[in-house]
Amino acid sequence: MSRVLSLEELQASLAVSGSGPRYWRSLDELAGREGFGELLREEFPRLAPLWEQSVDRRGVLKLMAASLALAGLGACSRPAEEIVPYVNIPDGQTPGRARHYATSLFVNGHAHGVIAKTLEGRPVKLEGNPDHPATLGACDSWTQAALLGLYDPDRSRTPRFRDQVSTTGALLDALLPRRKHWDRTGGEGLAFVLGDRNSPSEQARLRALRARWPAARWFGHDADGRRQAMQGADQLFGRPLQPVHDLSDADVIISLDADLLASEPGFLAHARHFAAGRRAGAAGAAMNRLFVAEAAPTVTGAAADHRLAVAADGIDALARSLAQALGLEVPATGLPASSAGRAAGWIKAAATDLAAAQRPVIIAGAQQSPAVHALALAMNARLGALGRSLRLREPDGLVTEPLQNLNKAIADQTVDSLILLDANPVYDAPGDLNFSETFRTVPFRLHWGPYVDETARLCHWHVPATHDLESWGDACAHDGSVGLIQPLIEPMYQGRTALQMLALLDTGQEREARGLLSDYWRDTAALSGGFDAAWQRWLTAGVVAEARPDFVSARPLADWAERLPEPAPERDGLLLQFRLHPTVFDGRHANNGWLQELPAPITKQTWGNAVQIAPATAARLELADGDVVRLSLGERALESPVLIVPGHPPDALSLTLGHGRTAAGRVGNGVGVNAARLRRAAAPWFTGAAAIRRTGAAEPLALTQNHHLMEGRELIRSADVATYRQDPGFAQEPPPDKSLYPEPSPRARSALPQWGMSIDLNTCIGCNACVTACQAENNIPVVGADEVARGHEMHWIRIDRYYEGEPDAPRMAFQPVPCMHCENAPCEYVCPVEATQHSSDGLNEMVYNRCVGTRYCSQNCPYKVRRFNWFDYSNQAALATPAAANNPDVTVRSRGVMEKCTYCVQRIRSAEIEADISDLPLADGDVVTACQQTCPTQAIHFGDVADPDSAVSRAKAQPRDYGLLTHLNTRPRTTYLAGLRNPAPTLANGDDDGHSQDDSESPA
Amino acid sequence: MSEREPLMPDQLTHGWLTQRVSALVLERRPPRSWRVGVVVCALLTLVFVIGLSHLFATGVGIFGLNIPVAWGLPITNTIWWIGIAHAGTLISAVLLLTRQRWRASINRFAEAMAMFAIVCAGLYPVLHLGRPWFWYYLLPYPNDMGLWPQWRSPLVWDFFAIATYLLFTSSFLYLSLLPDLASLRDRASARATRLFYGVLALGWRGDALHWARYERATTIMAAVAAPIVVAVTGIISLDLAVSIVPGFHFTIFPPYFVAGALLSGFATVAILAVVLRWMFALEDLVTRQHLDYLGRMMLIFVVIVNYAYTQEMFAAWYSGEVEYRYVYLDRWTGPYAPAWWGMILCNVVLTQLLWFRRVRRSPLAMLALGITTNLGMWLERFQIVFTSTHADYMPSNWDTVWPTGWDWAIYAGSLGLFGLLLLLFVRLMPMISMHDMRAQIADRGRDG
Repeated sequence: MSRVLSLEELQASLAVSGSGPRYWRSLDELAGREGFGELLREEFPRLAPLWEQSVDRRGVLKLMAASLALAGLGACSRPAEEIVPYVNIPDGQTPGRARHYATSLFVNGHAHGVIAKTLEGRPVKLEGNPDHPATLGACDSWTQAALLGLYDPDRSRTPRFRDQVSTTGALLDALLPRRKHWDRTGGEGLAFVLGDRNSPSEQARLRALRARWPAARWFGHDADGRRQAMQGADQLFGRPLQPVHDLSDADVIISLDADLLASEPGFLAHARHFAAGRRAGAAGAAMNRLFVAEAAPTVTGAAADHRLAVAADGIDALARSLAQALGLEVPATGLPASSAGRAAGWIKAAATDLAAAQRPVIIAGAQQSPAVHALALAMNARLGALGRSLRLREPDGLVTEPLQNLNKAIADQTVDSLILLDANPVYDAPGDLNFSETFRTVPFRLHWGPYVDETARLCHWHVPATHDLESWGDACAHDGSVGLIQPLIEPMYQGRTALQMLALLDTGQEREARGLLSDYWRDTAALSGGFDAAWQRWLTAGVVAEARPDFVSARPLADWAERLPEPAPERDGLLLQFRLHPTVFDGRHANNGWLQELPAPITKQTWGNAVQIAPATAARLELADGDVVRLSLGERALESPVLIVPGHPPDALSLTLGHGRTAAGRVGNGVGVNAARLRRAAAPWFTGAAAIRRTGAAEPLALTQNHHLMEGRELIRSADVATYRQDPGFAQEPPPDKSLYPEPSPRARSALPQWGMSIDLNTCIGCNACVTACQAENNIPVVGADEVARGHEMHWIRIDRYYEGEPDAPRMAFQPVPCMHCENAPCEYVCPVEATQHSSDGLNEMVYNRCVGTRYCSQNCPYKVRRFNWFDYSNQAALATPAAANNPDVTVRSRGVMEKCTYCVQRIRSAEIEADISDLPLADGDVVTACQQTCPTQAIHFGDVADPDSAVSRAKAQPRDYGLLTHLNTRPRTTYLAGLRNPAPTLANGDDDGHSQDDSESPA
Repeated sequence: MSEREPLMPDQLTHGWLTQRVSALVLERRPPRSWRVGVVVCALLTLVFVIGLSHLFATGVGIFGLNIPVAWGLPITNTIWWIGIAHAGTLISAVLLLTRQRWRASINRFAEAMAMFAIVCAGLYPVLHLGRPWFWYYLLPYPNDMGLWPQWRSPLVWDFFAIATYLLFTSSFLYLSLLPDLASLRDRASARATRLFYGVLALGWRGDALHWARYERATTIMAAVAAPIVVAVTGIISLDLAVSIVPGFHFTIFPPYFVAGALLSGFATVAILAVVLRWMFALEDLVTRQHLDYLGRMMLIFVVIVNYAYTQEMFAAWYSGEVEYRYVYLDRWTGPYAPAWWGMILCNVVLTQLLWFRRVRRSPLAMLALGITTNLGMWLERFQIVFTSTHADYMPSNWDTVWPTGWDWAIYAGSLGLFGLLLLLFVRLMPMISMHDMRAQIADRGRDG
């Protein structure tokens, strides 16, 4: 077969010879080149015969006449572009007025229901859908940042063949003989690698494909280890089931290395329900209690009343001990020696609480072994949680084989065609599989995915996937409920939805995306009314009400405990733990600047990963922050800087996945190191016998917080519930001395309403959702790793994280810090050009076009919440947010001006305008700030502080209310509600769990 | 002071003096050292221009600045240059009013130094703006926004203070040049030179009425100058003191800064005196006795500055505020501690050598002390600007930032600009005030 020319080559050969005469000759040469005919056939199939047959004189004249006539038409052949938009305005559309649509997005494989805001047909902001069980109206950083992903210029734009632009037509041609072959052999030699998308209609299509080609093999790419939960259920119940946890009204929550508030499936709902239990405690009812044992600090551990740092391989022993304490007969092992004292106290307190609990729940982390999952499920069953706080459902997807089987199959040459759907195993397959080498030997490789990523580059064919915001589809949430995905914008590039891709494989034809979806639902849903009405209802609500999940009941097998695997022998040496990255996850979000620049909640590291290590271990190995180490496991090794993390279990190293991408795009390439290179397929999440060696080099880490202690300053105030009951006003302080001058106060100002904010530190879990929401709402630029390392990050709201107590078992506390909108703002009087002013409704306003950039305001701000445009960030080539992703209601700031939180003044003003038009006064709740709207735990209240009945006034009236640095008489409008902890009575002092226990138990 | 040496050679006559000083401008080829100096300073000025071009093209992010340390080397250098400018005015105005005759041979280049230092000082605040092209927003000019500057902001006071000082210094310098320009005009042989100095001399004929008016004008301006000297640095210090930043917010700042300014100013005059008397062989006119006087002036301000250091520490402790105390601990032990201890070494330890007469009279020692004192004063401003916000109220945003290569390039460039302007000045204008010296010769007879 002669080589097909590509368009690029064609253009290149034309461009080479720019000078006149040569140019014309080269066109002729081109036409004569080998492969030109094939190109012509592909690009213009109808014209190809013309090229090949000879033309007579009449024909030439006809063609010339037609060319002349058509030349004039050339001017109007392009689609008409209206320069006056909306002469005929579509129904219900008002320029400048947003429209909102309910849709769903896949967030790490599960559906998150959102309400998307569009302006002039362009999505600009996503909010949680209150009716969707996974989001409950809140959002997370991943969902917020999906908006930026939509406009990512690095997304794959066209189908590709051998890394050259191609067409779907060409792909269909290439597939035709293969499909015939598969039809003949039942799919012999064909293998699929599936990503973790959980969609009913896609699953139906996949099942159809499996039925059609029964000999094909199906491999699953288990990014976050969720397969292990089902294996655990299999051990316990005898069949793979999917556990669904429900934390609502849970009074005792045990996490066995589960980051249930920030990354486990359903985390937004978990956070909401957890916060409800906290809030109840603050209001006087009983407060829930959270016990967390974890292998590396997470926000869940930080929120815990009792946090226990245990290396990942010690969780199994801990779970067994806890199970025994609950009366289950399981073969026990000793607790890991390093944390035995603390662990015993933790187990005892947890078991006591669980025994007395009304609605307990025990959750094992997805990355823990099936045995731990089985133990957790068995404990739940023992405590009567089955069917209440823990429900079981049938697994969603096809049963797939793990990736190492594929590796073996390729090596055995039983696979000759490989179709990868939204999976990137070349990047993230465990290093010991040497996957990219075996992968290359497959004769036919087809990839469907949103980026031309590492895997796509090694594939023959690549088909771009549409973004969820430009797709038709459906998506299944963690609990099995289903929401529809509807497009908010025409696909920007030549992407195909998942259903289109599957239909293309199945039928060999291009199908229309919407029809594929509605056909599925028309066939599936048993509806009493008409389909069209239901369809409209689903699209409006965002949730398919008729597709409620079916929960099943199951009983533990009698002999399950005997089938538990032998506990692993005590390890010596260092344990290497692989953790999912809190912002880029397994690497799928690596090309998203908002997520790369989002500080990891605990470490506050941006733009990259580091080997996390406990302070004691670091001291033993003589390592400091930023020291580059060589981390080796057998023959494989990588070099990465070290980051000391208080609260990390000793003798263990954590490295996050998701960095070190080579084909993520301009943002994500070359950031951090790829931890997958060290992973072993047999033990993907933690493995012993890691060796660490200092290289002598050091690397600056792009941290957003460099000092981690409060230095005795009462910035975050918190108390135990018991203390709070006795002294509700523990956080209060005497008001500053009376001034001789009249002091401004909300009620003394003329305008109404007077805006203010209250942030509840009792429910804030430090998850960062507000940071990304603010970034999306307020067009906050991404500045890059070097700039962050220099202290130039731009986030308007930051989450301060402080440690308290001993470095090996510290308490962690979070505090979101936006602008305080001080009544007596120190920034205002020092600005020489009056670029920052106080509005009559109490906002501290920033006038960008007046600002000359003296930065005096920032110098004089004791909270340091102001951010400065040191460079022209909004136009920096690789990192600039595409203009289309910007919120048109917010100014894009130029170089050299100061900026800061505005309390989302654009939302305030538009609500005021609405109220003005409708001639109704603004009601409480009419203005919702971006951070408040997205907060999973509803920790932020905003509203009129001059109205004593507003939600924010009621929050501020609580005795826990306090202001930051009020001794400076800044009179901040943003105030905090002090945090509360609910330590178990058996562990007398919450911040000293282990030691009190050690003391009381050692004599016994 | 019984062993006081004469401030000028006994044989000095009016004619000889005028001949000698004007020859430096009109006849003699400049010495090799001058030419080398001009080339070096011109190259540094080129660095300055390159630095500014890069700055204006990209943004102030090229400097070592961030949140929380949003003011860095540019502000350090502003205060430092302003300080240097001060001694010039003090010498020409306050010493004139108090009839200190020793000022006669050094006041001209001290004034020139003031003039060029204020040029450097005035450039920095503009080029450290985020959007320097809008610097005029600080002016109270009628505009369609109906906005005036924020009169409560010390930066506005600062703007006016520096502008006033620049205007005042330049007019005072020019005024005192008038009689000497006329002398040059009268002595110039080439027509172009005559024309040049003639135009500049504004028709000065040296008649009695001119002199009477000149005396009255200089006395009035000198009387105005004294409060300006105090006010300008006082106001610069208010940029810091009016804020609520621990480490900035001290009421002792205005006098403390004035004393510091004068210390660095006299140190710079001492450097220039030593360099220029060597460069142009003026040992007989700028004598060791002059150096002695300069050393004594420095000593006065050393004592005041050292006292201010103790008071600043005391105030930080006595405030009882944890943040203020922390700032001091951090100055002693934090990342910027070398700057603080360097300041103590230069301004407290080394300056004690000035108590010794032999040191004060040694040109080399005075040159060395002039340099170390200027370094010390620079470090003082550096540590005030950097340490105060790098660890202020909220530990979460504490951060350490260091000056970048561009910071240093522009600083070196401003030194070059200052040197270039000064070297060109001494080439084009009489570096010693001929008429003041002549008056001193006349007075000498009277003192006996």
